[in-house]
Amino acid sequence: MLTLDLPALAVALSRRLHAAGVPATPERAARFAEALTLLAPVDGPRVYWAARVTFVSSHEQLPAFDRVMAEVLGGDRDFADTRGDSAAPPAPAAAGGPPAEGSGGEALDAEGRPGGPVIAAIDAAAGPAQGPRREAVLTMASSAERLGERSFAALTAEELAELRQLARGLAVARPVRRARRTRRASSGEHVDVRATLRRSRRTSGEPVRLERRRRRRRPRRLVFLCDVSGSMEPYTRASLQLLQAAAGGAEAEVFVFATRLTRLTRALRGGDPDAALARAAALPPDWSGGTRIAEALRVFIDRHGRRGMARGAVVVILSDGWERGEPAALGHEMERLARLAHRIVWVNPRKAAPGFAPLTGGMAAALPFCDAFLSGHNLSEFAAVLDAVGDSPTARRTTR
Amino acid sequence: MSQPARPGASEALRERIPDAETLVRLLDGSDYLADEGLATALFIALRLPQPLLLEGEAGVGKTEAAKALARALGTPLVRLQCYEGIDASEALYEWNYPRQLLGIRLAEARGGALGEDELFSEEFLVRRPLLAALEHPGPLPAVLLVDELDRADDDFEAFLFELLAESSVTIPELGTITARFPPAVVLTSNRTRELHDALKRRCLYHWIDYPSPEREVEIVRRRVPGTAQELAVDVAAAVQRLRAGDVQKPPGIAEAIDWVAALALLGVTRLDAAAADRTLGTVLKHREDQELVRAGGLEALTGG
Repeated sequence: MLTLDLPALAVALSRRLHAAGVPATPERAARFAEALTLLAPVDGPRVYWAARVTFVSSHEQLPAFDRVMAEVLGGDRDFADTRGDSAAPPAPAAAGGPPAEGSGGEALDAEGRPGGPVIAAIDAAAGPAQGPRREAVLTMASSAERLGERSFAALTAEELAELRQLARGLAVARPVRRARRTRRASSGEHVDVRATLRRSRRTSGEPVRLERRRRRRRPRRLVFLCDVSGSMEPYTRASLQLLQAAAGGAEAEVFVFATRLTRLTRALRGGDPDAALARAAALPPDWSGGTRIAEALRVFIDRHGRRGMARGAVVVILSDGWERGEPAALGHEMERLARLAHRIVWVNPRKAAPGFAPLTGGMAAALPFCDAFLSGHNLSEFAAVLDAVGDSPTARRTTR
Repeated sequence: MSQPARPGASEALRERIPDAETLVRLLDGSDYLADEGLATALFIALRLPQPLLLEGEAGVGKTEAAKALARALGTPLVRLQCYEGIDASEALYEWNYPRQLLGIRLAEARGGALGEDELFSEEFLVRRPLLAALEHPGPLPAVLLVDELDRADDDFEAFLFELLAESSVTIPELGTITARFPPAVVLTSNRTRELHDALKRRCLYHWIDYPSPEREVEIVRRRVPGTAQELAVDVAAAVQRLRAGDVQKPPGIAEAIDWVAALALLGVTRLDAAAADRTLGTVLKHREDQELVRAGGLEALTGG
């Protein structure tokens, strides 16, 4: 049993937790002190649990929190002794040799449809999204004709800014889905009883006119999975601009991967794009490392996608498809993803290289599950990516 | 502190649950074996009082914890299952329009008239879960379970703030309804999306881990009465192996209980490869997972 100066303990603990990266606020510290008074007599485990319940607000903070508590309470006692081993990450699959040459050339024509759906998408663009999107494309064509042909691998700062501007078009490009909620509309599938009744008061309780409601439409969720491995390094700067615009403007979920998957959404949101990029750069430890796409996809699907993030979403994968692992594994993960997502757009900057054929093992395995396969390596091709993200009847796969 | 002092828990609650040990006993009595962490979290949540946000893998007993809490308190459990597009009329209250219309007609037929006050009186109010929880007569608090909050839209979270902070809601036609005995609020999330910081700020947080094998044996035996100790131990060990393995959907406690129940139904007393083969569908719900485990050998799974 310990005798404690509660406020002092709460404040001291709060400071240490804050220094360790657990966002401890005075409000939480006060709550912690209050919780401890309820738990008297106070012992080690009780201090641990009271602090954990009041200070921690996310599962990710637990390791840092446990470290601090071990220091504060002394020893390396593990109070959370009920923890199963399931949280331990499974042993990573051994990385294979260099990318094997596959034979999937026909898949490009069958499913990849380079170029075709893009033009169709522009023609078929309908509804309110048409105005701004057209405008974005036209602006780009007039002011950036020279830039349009330059590869993203060699861009200056101003050009990056222009790319950022264009990437804002993502916000309007997102396809829509029918939401469950309704709004008032002059013609709609549901009768709005509340509004009808309210209106009927004007006609002495006689419901003369039926008010109607129809389903709202909401933009689908956008998910970006971006390869930042060594082979993609020339494009990383440009991709980051795109990801920042996507996370900030189009409320997309953003992940980067090389050998493992890192969620960047939080870091990339917020007003100042440069600060956001700096925050993001501080995060993933394996920029420009090797690639394990299948493993990254598996982790994404298991941790996030299957729980709802990928369901009905538009998933954009930016990668050259140079898989170090087993190509069959990538095909398997793509199949799983295709069953969850509304559409999958694969952006591969190497597609623009003369003589490119998607023959590297990983790319060939992934292609059958992509709804669109684009290069996106310069501004004009990038506009095509925006269109592929958007919905259009011709670009939609009929098999789903 | 900037915020006013909290009223604290009611007298009846303090008497009923004087300390965390009592809560563990009461939960135990209602067939829920809470470990020290969860019991402490629930106790603090009840007594501060403060809403409690529970997170954890699917099937670790998040929803069950709220149900057990209601049983332990002997008060009703009010459950609000969230889904995309849920709004106030489904969560809080709605006016009973058909009845209002009928009421108007009836009044007319009798030669009278129905005033606005009568039309929007409690008589025509349909109480949805949140309002029902607020109007619980006490003296012990009802348990309000807001299940899978991550499925609701983020504006629904904002809508919950008033309820969570003040234990009151505002209905334009009737005024503000404040709970005399604020419900004990338990929120659960499967983390399909990050909940808003403002919401997390108002809540206590507890992450429920998978139980230790010993505790899982206890839980399974409690939930499937008459289970042999050996069978429960076998199943707990096999389930642990599955969780440590590479399956897409690791089995939760619910799956372990189902598995034991299925095995008991078949008259199996020890888990072996043949028995596992017949009942694998109760614990693994994905074809790929079943194939994976079968390829690895069912003997490896059962430890035989």
